Amino acid sequence: MENEACKKKITKAEILKDIVGILEDMTSDWDMEFSGPIGPETRLMSDLEFESIDVVQFIVAIEERFKRRNMPFEELLMEDGRYVDEITVEDAVNFLYTHLQ
Amino acid sequence: MNPTYLIGLDGAVFSILDPLMEEGTMPFLKDFIASGVRAELLSTPNPLTPPAWISMITGRSPGNHGVFDFIWAEERKSDVYFTLYNYRDIQCETVWSIVSRQNGKVCSLNFPMTSPPPAVSGCIVPGLVSWKHLRLNTHPPELYERLKKLPGFNAKDLAWDFELEKNAARGVPHEEYENWIKFHIRRERHWFEILRYLMKNNPADLTSIVFDGIDKLLHIGWRFIHPDYFPSAPSAWEKKIRTLCLDYFRELDRFLAEIVKLAGPDSRIFIASDHGFGPSWEVFRVNSWLNSRGYLTWKDTSNLDEAEKKKVERLVERHFVHLDWDRTTAYARTVTSNGIYIRVARGPNQSGVPSDQYEAFRRRLISELKDIRDPETDERIIKRILTKEEAYPGAHNDQAPDLTLVMRDHGFVSILNKNPIVYKRPEIAGTHYPEGIFVASGPGIQRGASIRQLSIVDVAPTLLYSLGLEIPEDLEGRLPEEVFESTYLRDNPCRIGRPTMKVDTYALRTGGTAIDTEEEGKIMDKLKALGYIE
Repeated sequence: MENEACKKKITKAEILKDIVGILEDMTSDWDMEFSGPIGPETRLMSDLEFESIDVVQFIVAIEERFKRRNMPFEELLMEDGRYVDEITVEDAVNFLYTHLQ
Repeated sequence: MNPTYLIGLDGAVFSILDPLMEEGTMPFLKDFIASGVRAELLSTPNPLTPPAWISMITGRSPGNHGVFDFIWAEERKSDVYFTLYNYRDIQCETVWSIVSRQNGKVCSLNFPMTSPPPAVSGCIVPGLVSWKHLRLNTHPPELYERLKKLPGFNAKDLAWDFELEKNAARGVPHEEYENWIKFHIRRERHWFEILRYLMKNNPADLTSIVFDGIDKLLHIGWRFIHPDYFPSAPSAWEKKIRTLCLDYFRELDRFLAEIVKLAGPDSRIFIASDHGFGPSWEVFRVNSWLNSRGYLTWKDTSNLDEAEKKKVERLVERHFVHLDWDRTTAYARTVTSNGIYIRVARGPNQSGVPSDQYEAFRRRLISELKDIRDPETDERIIKRILTKEEAYPGAHNDQAPDLTLVMRDHGFVSILNKNPIVYKRPEIAGTHYPEGIFVASGPGIQRGASIRQLSIVDVAPTLLYSLGLEIPEDLEGRLPEEVFESTYLRDNPCRIGRPTMKVDTYALRTGGTAIDTEEEGKIMDKLKALGYIE
């Protein structure tokens, strides 16, 4: 089904829904101060208290959800040769919108 | 199917277990071995947790299953990008899949590289996963909620306490040893409780679990546990730590006894370790040696401001990443792979060794590595140097190091920019040795037999035979018939069947996940917490 969805040119709204779903599911028992809701402006590191291992798991979850493992995630994680200190949900959505088409 | 159990004891070795059995710390294991078969189990060429466990549960060598280390890495542009191996990187079918597709039920608890969990018929709770991700990596998804209702369930105890383990691995204050050992006793109890619950409520044809505390204790506690290394006049603290370590083994023995009792007399129980253990007294700083020979150049940091320099220093302390790639032809990527990677030029005017000079380059490197000798004894520091083709033949060896080093004390190398190149440890530490353990008992298994060394890839065909299934023809391991009684073998001849199924190839990695140097440093911290790096 996911592959079919990709072939039909997935929309940003659909990607956002999936990403929010992944993050809500992932963080539902993390005892965070963040009380949500998770949306485009939500920051993975500052709001959801992501650490490096959480980023790895997040990317695995994305790959599993969209059945793709060849996306250049460094484009999401790096900027001007340096790794970013923060990623927003919107950053992830834009990245996936570019690479899932 | 005949009920079959695989109880994994990470790092277990007879040189530790035999004295513990003799002195009465592990009475159940002593009787269990007397009622069955024992053998040494030879691990993978680099006896390391991920490749070794995967070889055990696939019956294939690392060159075929494709897992060589904790860390998956790839050179891209001007840097190396890291992520962690996971289940999707295993290029061969596992016994859990083989059993599932033949309508059997499986249970897999605490095995490394079992996340994200495959959709087997049965239960998987993965190992090497942070508590924050245990729920989503448990199969079937509703199982975690059931486990949460067990009395005393605590995901933080079940998974890794990274802070505690990190502290323990860093040259610890004495009081932290105690907490660290107690943590592992608690942790094993958690896994045991889950196993007991699933044995009663979700019985499987193939039940498998890894208890990994032995490995964690032996890395720092070899000198407290092995009788030859424990001081003849120990301090009060040394006595206390040894007592705690023995408490761990006593508790483990009780778990084994209860598992076997619950399994019942019709079950076959196999106990195996992924690798053995032994003493390590020195560290070879391989990247410093490569630097001294002109193969590796550290990146120049003289133009950086103080803040940047400190950041780089922190990174270099954690890992090697700060290399000048244009002036590096060979380097060690991780401590745990114990290997050297040769950088082959990707084209004309590219840095690295021209492809047509690779063989000559590698021969020269091997020759120079062989010449590294102990100045006092003239003994070679590196006992064996294996090429990729020797150590890891197979279709999926592209991630394997070009050279695998077997040190004379089997120690892990250092990849830091430090001197001296060969460093004598102030205290003996435990390290992975190739000879692990294999023990079996149950219907049709020989009694009181000590047999010749088996290979780790023999375990999977043995489990399948025990279950009454065909052994796929493409497994590299053999059925060790000497484990079984001749009458049982006669009545139940080994059947070789169709090859294993191809794994889901959508998962073939073409890019990997880039991890920044800070991120990678944190992963290094995780490995440090696991006790595998300095």
